[in-house]
Amino acid sequence: MFLRIVADSFGRRPRHKLLTGAALALGMGVATAALSVSLDVGDRLAKEFRSLGANLLVTPQADSLPLEIGGVDYRPVNAGAYLPEADLGKLKTIFWHNNIVAFAPILEVPVRVRTHGSENTSGSGILGNATLIGSWYSHTLSLPDGSSFVTGIEKTNPWWHVEGKWISETGDSCVVGEKFARRFGISIGDSIEIETSSDSGHEIRVAGILSGAGPEDDAIVVPLPLAQGMANKPGQYRKLYVSALTKPEDDFARRDPKTMKADEFERWSCSPYVSSIAYSIKQVLPGADVRVIRRVAEGEGAILTRVRILLWLVTGAALLAAALAVGASSAASVIERRTEIGLMKALGAGSGTVGFLLAAEQLLLAFVGGGAGYALGIILARLLGEKIFGAAPEPSLIVFLVIIALAAGVTILGSAFPLRRASRFEAAPILRGE
Amino acid sequence: MADRRATNRAMFWRILRRLFGANPGRLFVMLLALGSGAAVTAALLNLQVDAKRRLTTEFRAFGANVIVLPKHASLSGSETLPESTILSVPRNLGNAPVTMTASLYVIATVLSPQSGKSLSAVVAGKNPRLIGWVAPANATSLAPLGSPAIPAGPICMVGGRIGKQLHVEQGSTIILSNGDQKETCVAAGLGESGGPEDDQIVADVRAAQRLASLSGRISAIELIVPGTPGEIQSYITDLQRLLPDVDVRPIRQFTEGEAKIYNRISGLLTATVGIVLLLTGLCVMAAMTNVAMERKMDVGLMKAIGGSVRRVLRLFLTEAALLGLAGGMIGAAAGILLSIGLGKAVFGVAARPRLIVYPVAVALTIIVAIVSAYPLRRLASIRPASVFRGEA
Repeated sequence: MFLRIVADSFGRRPRHKLLTGAALALGMGVATAALSVSLDVGDRLAKEFRSLGANLLVTPQADSLPLEIGGVDYRPVNAGAYLPEADLGKLKTIFWHNNIVAFAPILEVPVRVRTHGSENTSGSGILGNATLIGSWYSHTLSLPDGSSFVTGIEKTNPWWHVEGKWISETGDSCVVGEKFARRFGISIGDSIEIETSSDSGHEIRVAGILSGAGPEDDAIVVPLPLAQGMANKPGQYRKLYVSALTKPEDDFARRDPKTMKADEFERWSCSPYVSSIAYSIKQVLPGADVRVIRRVAEGEGAILTRVRILLWLVTGAALLAAALAVGASSAASVIERRTEIGLMKALGAGSGTVGFLLAAEQLLLAFVGGGAGYALGIILARLLGEKIFGAAPEPSLIVFLVIIALAAGVTILGSAFPLRRASRFEAAPILRGE
Repeated sequence: MADRRATNRAMFWRILRRLFGANPGRLFVMLLALGSGAAVTAALLNLQVDAKRRLTTEFRAFGANVIVLPKHASLSGSETLPESTILSVPRNLGNAPVTMTASLYVIATVLSPQSGKSLSAVVAGKNPRLIGWVAPANATSLAPLGSPAIPAGPICMVGGRIGKQLHVEQGSTIILSNGDQKETCVAAGLGESGGPEDDQIVADVRAAQRLASLSGRISAIELIVPGTPGEIQSYITDLQRLLPDVDVRPIRQFTEGEAKIYNRISGLLTATVGIVLLLTGLCVMAAMTNVAMERKMDVGLMKAIGGSVRRVLRLFLTEAALLGLAGGMIGAAAGILLSIGLGKAVFGVAARPRLIVYPVAVALTIIVAIVSAYPLRRLASIRPASVFRGEA
């Protein structure tokens, strides 16, 4: 009988149920979309922040201090220490290897440059000094576990724009800084000759012009092996930029790992804080000093935290509005059924039975509406995610459960107040239409 | 004739009053639905505008994003600017201040009398009287630690790596020298920031000028320009036009990164707010329509006693508009208060209420209310008799 009354109520007034259901579905759709986006946004934005480039810097521990002004190192070539390039594969074997997005080793060599000018005016040699930056570009690194990883300077320094072509791994090609090229009238396709005090004369072809609005505009970028040859430091590098996905640091993350207890240390090293990633990189690169580029890492952390809070607040506001509107809708549907309630009571139903019946009806509606709302919200979240980040958030079960629970809670709460009033109704006046 | 119209109007308002008074429960429900919609609309619109502006100031955390260099700064690195250049740099962009630091770089020998060690290092003379120095966000790690007494001599911030190599501690004296010039200062800082300042000593710009024998000259001016990517770009263009003798460059790592992130976040915010508003509007509309559909009896009765469809409809639409106005006014005010609180929670600064948001939110609420009462038009075709018999 109970089920029959509920089924009958749905069958008899389909439009009303549809409207209440629609309000529920729309409200829960808002909630789902906002929740999914908020849950997902941290990871997506962390990726976006990689456009700021590297957040970790690896240098040799025993290195002498760089005397760098405006990107030019005034140290003699032989001073300082170097790190072996062969160890770099180990970076992708650390616990946080999936968080390491890119890395690029750098070897800088001061060189003298002799320009040939263009082909037809060959021989017009101008001597100038420049910094030769040896690095990787789309370098395929084979990892100890047999797989391979492609990385390079274009990923750690994404603000470097190259007109023409980037350097290729093997050839004797180079990319010349914009200002340098302008000063010596170099254009793409020209050949230049570079020499150091130990290595005389090496002809390379200009494949592209680099602009980065920094000291690199005065430099020449070449493949790492070439720079190693010029510096007579085969298989070595001096600086390594690492770009890693991290979690914003909190007070806990800033503590010194040496002062932590065993369980704290475990928790610390199991969170992708930039400092714990730095720590695990240090473990695999002996003799290296791993420093967090605070300027990037902390700015990133601060903004990420703010945006997250902001989105949670928007989500909260959306939930609140949806809840109120849905609550109002279900309250309305109870208020309008006074006659029906009066009839049921006149026929001998107790207040409890009437309340239970109406609550069951509302709950059924909540599940249907909530389910439909969830589907709607997921579609919206996908559209949003794809439009903004180019990737859709994963539908999550938690969101589904939260939404269903919310839908049920809101409808029950919304109907509770009018239901309580309804239970106090006298049957006779209602039926008389008073 | 005029008399009749006046009576009509009086009757119209009287019926309307009765409609409101008839069912306080229903009135409350409608006001709740409309008010919550208006509150969210006002709060989100207000917050959205404010959040975007705040976001650009958050980018300060990244430090300098524009640098002013001598025109032909090249490998020799010896060109300098007159110190007065800094006076011609505009101080404000919109109403946000531009932070600037003048610096002079010189290579000097650093000696620690305590440990007897010495090395060559870059001394960056910065002008602290303008802002201190462009410190990374984690200023705490660079601030003098555990030194309660204010040191007697001038302070210089020693980079962490230099500190390690020289075995310098907080508060110990170091001597900087270049040729015959000598400067003494008290070491502070010693933090590691991962940036070039780890390998530098930051001293007063005057001290660096004496060391380099370049009085009144600086090597560069670093600027923190707040604003949207477009604003920063036009600031750079304007500054370059204003100072044709220098080279104004964006620090592209940050300007470009900031631009990308700003666009993403503001896109995200706009889209989220848009969707939330749209769905909230629809949700309120569905709830309102649900209530409106219950008015069959009223419509039936009015038709039965001779009300024309147009007049009946006008009555209900006016009712809806009035409800929208009331709900909107209460809700939007609540929403603006809410957004002030929210702004405080997110950015630590209360969001400034924008007055334009209020009428917009109220107008949107009225529109939603009227549109949701519109299905009553369908009731025009109902036959009063069937309503009273309880058939429809």
